[in-house]
Amino acid sequence: MSSRIDNPKIRSAAWRISLWATLAFAFGTMIVFVFLHRFIADDIKNRSDAWITGEVEVLGDVAERTPKDALYSRVVGEVAELAEKEIPNKLRSGSGSNDSVFFLQAGADGSLKLWVGAGSGQNTLDAIQKTNMLLDQPTDVRVSESAVPFRVASVRIDDGSRIYLGLSERDELRVLRSLRLRFFLLWLLIVLFGFTIVFSTTRRMLSHVRRITEAASRIGHSDLNARVPTTERNDEVAQLALTLNRMLDRIENSMHQLHTITDSLAHDLRSPLTAIRGKLEMSLSAVAQIEQAEPIVSAIEELDRLTEFLNQSLDVAEAKADALRLAPSEIDLNELLRVMIDLYEPSMAEKGLQITLRSAGPLNVQADAALIHRMIANLFDNELKHLPAACTVTIQLQTEDDMASLLLEDDGPGFTSEVIPYLFERRVKGRESNGHGLGLAFIDAVARAHGGAVTAHNCERGGAYIAITLPLAPSDGIESPAGSARG
Amino acid sequence: MRLLLVEDELDIQSFLIRSLEEAGYQVEAAADGKTAERLAIDGAFDILIVDLGLPDQDGISLILRLRQLGVKAPVLILSARRSVDDRVRGLEQGGDDYLTKPFALAELLARLRNLLKRNNPVGSETTRLRVLDLELDLLRREASRSGQMLQLTPQEFVLLEYFCRNAGRVVTRSMILDKVWGMRIQPDTNVVDVHIYRLRGKVDGKGQQPLIRTLRGVGYVLKDR
Repeated sequence: MSSRIDNPKIRSAAWRISLWATLAFAFGTMIVFVFLHRFIADDIKNRSDAWITGEVEVLGDVAERTPKDALYSRVVGEVAELAEKEIPNKLRSGSGSNDSVFFLQAGADGSLKLWVGAGSGQNTLDAIQKTNMLLDQPTDVRVSESAVPFRVASVRIDDGSRIYLGLSERDELRVLRSLRLRFFLLWLLIVLFGFTIVFSTTRRMLSHVRRITEAASRIGHSDLNARVPTTERNDEVAQLALTLNRMLDRIENSMHQLHTITDSLAHDLRSPLTAIRGKLEMSLSAVAQIEQAEPIVSAIEELDRLTEFLNQSLDVAEAKADALRLAPSEIDLNELLRVMIDLYEPSMAEKGLQITLRSAGPLNVQADAALIHRMIANLFDNELKHLPAACTVTIQLQTEDDMASLLLEDDGPGFTSEVIPYLFERRVKGRESNGHGLGLAFIDAVARAHGGAVTAHNCERGGAYIAITLPLAPSDGIESPAGSARG
Repeated sequence: MRLLLVEDELDIQSFLIRSLEEAGYQVEAAADGKTAERLAIDGAFDILIVDLGLPDQDGISLILRLRQLGVKAPVLILSARRSVDDRVRGLEQGGDDYLTKPFALAELLARLRNLLKRNNPVGSETTRLRVLDLELDLLRREASRSGQMLQLTPQEFVLLEYFCRNAGRVVTRSMILDKVWGMRIQPDTNVVDVHIYRLRGKVDGKGQQPLIRTLRGVGYVLKDR
């Protein structure tokens, strides 16, 4: 797996998906637990309340019936201790002392009459009196010395005193705390486990998507018969790959069809052109007088122009459909321009034009040399044909955002306003132009076929400005994009 | 020189036969792959011209088949197609040559001569070229006419050298662009002509016999007689 080539965007997608999924899952389970916790807490409370109210009534009965003698406190105390053994939710406390239940009898005047339990009876009674106790309904009472509140039920007996039975909520809280702790550990485990599973699954899926993306971006016009990788599974990603491949089939098919059309068109036109040219040349060699030769000569020249027009038209047509066939290699644009300028300089000088190149040295691009030659020749031919005498053509070569850019500027009259909106369309030319109007359309087509672009407009001073960008050769750039982005 | 021409377009075939015979080749012609195969095995040819679009088979398949059958003569491939097939590039590397239709006859003849020369290399490279009273020293990159040194730029020297190597034969503008500047382009301006005028101005001084002749519609020729 090509996990070495980290694509930060897609990686973060896996992170993002698993993070959100985990968050939603964690939040959901948390809510479920909160409800469950409340249900359990209520249930425990109801049970203790039922027990405590039942028990306090029994104790009230016992207290009423037991004669108030020396044995009274012992009898009532025993009964209270017996009751303690039946507490629900009881946990074995290490001390063994009875500190989870108290029995308290208060006289009508509010004085402590009987106390069975741990700690101070008076304190507890004070706390009870401070609390607004409801009759016949268990209430929470917090005794200052103990952090754990008691659930206290009371009953009034005939002699006017009140009997209180308190049950510590310690065990209940302990049960709930241990429930919470267990849940939290389990929840953490499940969430982590869920995150790992979601993350690894999304990553596996996205890595497949990434492989598809990588393969798809590799498939340029030069490599249209390649296909993206498919899997045996029948999920959405596999469907995506299949759909992409089917789409590529169709593109390849129509591309192939276009090539067949342009090829047969080229063949059908070039064969008669060849025959005509050959015959013209033969008749040219047969004539003796120059006057007779003139029409044949101009016919041959017209024919060559027609041939070049045919070639460029088909190139432009193919390039407009992104179907231009390239044979790219690494070429030094600087060197190429110097040779081209050397070729064009005398003709330009003859017309009173100057041409200068500003360049910082070798600049390698990945391009089809023959097409680039023709593109530059086209550019220079245009300048040569349209510039009036005493103009200067300046060419600047530089690197810009991983692209080689060729800037051509002249101080001539520039493009006329009527052609500016249609500069890159076929058959657009100035009124005085004697070309066939393919110039910039062809230049644009070649640049685009290489993954570059062309912009053209008039300079502020009035001359024409044409900027051509081409992708740098892989070794020259910092890192060449796998599939040259098309703008 | 025995030459086998494999071309199905009879129009092209007929004018090619005429001009090739005028140029001194003994030409046999075939209009399809089968005939070509039979002829190529029977007769020993020095060179072949094969069109890529044959009615019964692909020109490249024919060439590969002939190579298998032991035909070693170099091949000039003619093509009216738009793109250069990878297999054609392969053949080009194997010593064969390739020409796109339509072409100038002079270029066809020049390519045939080059192919034959490549096949029978004659001696070592010369260091001096001499055409009439024009002399080129290839090592010192100096040219002189009637003993008079010519002030040539390096580019002009290469151009003159190309003319001298093809003295007496027609060279076309596209041949000059290909061999001197290394590019196959068809400028629709007179860029090559201006170079030739400049060179002529230096080579053909006043009162001297003009050596570089323009053949309008065809190209240029350096006189060797």
